[in-house]
Amino acid sequence: MTKCNEIVQDIVRSMLRAKLVDEVVAFGRGINESDIVPLFITDEKDAEKIVTISYYPCSLAKLVALYGDRNKKIGLVLRPCDARSLVELAKRQQVNLANIYSIGIECYGVVRAGSNSHQVYIFPDTVQMDGETKPLAEDVLAPNCRRCEYMVPTMTDVAVRLLPDGGCLVDANTEKGQAVLEAASIAVTDMPALDLTALKERAARWKEKDFGELKKMAAKDRLHYWLAQWEKCIKCYGCRNACPICYCKECYLEPEKQIVKNEALPPEALFHVGRLLHVGDSCTDCGQCEAACPMGIPVSKLYHMLYEELSPLFDYESGFDLATLPPVSTISDKDLTKTGVTLD
Amino acid sequence: MDAVQDRTFEPKIVGFLCNWCTYAGADLAGVSRLQYPANVRVIRVMCSAAVDPVFVMKALLGGADGVFVGGCHLGDCHYTRGNYFTRRRVAMVKKLLEVIGLEPERLELEWISASEGARFAEAMRDFTQKIKALGPNPVKERKVS
Ligand code: SF4
Ligand code: SF4
Ligand code: SF4
Repeated sequence: MTKCNEIVQDIVRSMLRAKLVDEVVAFGRGINESDIVPLFITDEKDAEKIVTISYYPCSLAKLVALYGDRNKKIGLVLRPCDARSLVELAKRQQVNLANIYSIGIECYGVVRAGSNSHQVYIFPDTVQMDGETKPLAEDVLAPNCRRCEYMVPTMTDVAVRLLPDGGCLVDANTEKGQAVLEAASIAVTDMPALDLTALKERAARWKEKDFGELKKMAAKDRLHYWLAQWEKCIKCYGCRNACPICYCKECYLEPEKQIVKNEALPPEALFHVGRLLHVGDSCTDCGQCEAACPMGIPVSKLYHMLYEELSPLFDYESGFDLATLPPVSTISDKDLTKTGVTLD
Repeated sequence: MDAVQDRTFEPKIVGFLCNWCTYAGADLAGVSRLQYPANVRVIRVMCSAAVDPVFVMKALLGGADGVFVGGCHLGDCHYTRGNYFTRRRVAMVKKLLEVIGLEPERLELEWISASEGARFAEAMRDFTQKIKALGPNPVKERKVS
């Protein structure tokens, strides 16, 4: 599986050498083999640390929004869900997309949080763990990945497609992407069409399972299910801190806002519902919130469930088109033609 | 037992009324001495779009049995398009209520102008009736800190 790593490292080196970018943000090895950390790379020598492993401990898009310099050109190696989060952050003026060169890695899922193997590469039907290739058991995957149907990075400048033999194909989605491939002297490969039927079926099956179970409950049972989940919360703010859509410098959930009671533990339900109101319309189901939660609350299941309800209602697909603004911060021409109290 | 509960259940309803239309409509209902149930606690806001969805959820999770939002008819908003935003937010909150297991009917949006005192009184009667039929907010069954 080193080939994909190598090609991405090559692209990164060339981008830095050609001065297309000032720095590159990517995951790489930290102090040892199993330590995967975000790297801010400015020296092309460090590109060799980059890995394209199926483990994704935090949102790099959010890191760039928090710590990236808007005036610098930044290269970013990310997965499709994080690339969608990057687009959502750009809509909220948190990143300067014009200065970002994004390299998207095709993704069939990442390993669930808490898994002790970090040497893992996940393919459509197989998984490579600690050097061994096995058929993919779905419980290896993070719960949100099982519901995901966006495997191909169509929203990045460069798309890197994984091949089961460990190799990969590279394509440019934009002019910026072409410049990157030119700098790296990589010929654009015409991507053979990818059959996603089985993976879309997997997504549909898991959505049906995760959401169907809850939808089948009587409303009251569903309410008590969530209230019981929230009672486990220790108000560590992990979910908010991990969520790429939660970008606010001044968060509603902070005690000084006096919206959520200060000392109560577990926090009142509004702690969760407040964030749900803010993020639900744009959740990219990246799973970072759920992975961050020390109490095992199925956070992204809730957010994704609401997103799936809101997406058809507002005709909004989060993370693709920069020109489509978050649905509750805008109104559409169609809205203007309707006079009732509902949108239909 | 249920029937007894039904008769004694007086819902608590929070009403967010826009200053320019629905609040004035409520005022007109008052000066016209129109009868409507006293279940609604009115909060005057400058525009229905000033009703942050968080306020609605704070009320409902805090035990209010219903929330009523009243704004100007579309096209009549004092701030031009505020109520179009309100409509989207209410649609979102209704979906959220469904997802977490509360009845979306506990939240109601109406356009009521300053001259529609009678309509305001009627809307209050209807909504109170609707909430009585739904019963108390199930959130109250469980004490969340
Ligand atoms: S709510 Fe969770 S799954 Fe959704 S975007 Fe935020 S971190 Fe990702
Ligand atoms: S919970 Fe709301 S206010 Fe807080 S960071 Fe997230 S979006 Fe911003
Ligand atoms: S990460 Fe989990 S425990 Fe921490 S605040 Fe979020 S829901 Fe609560």
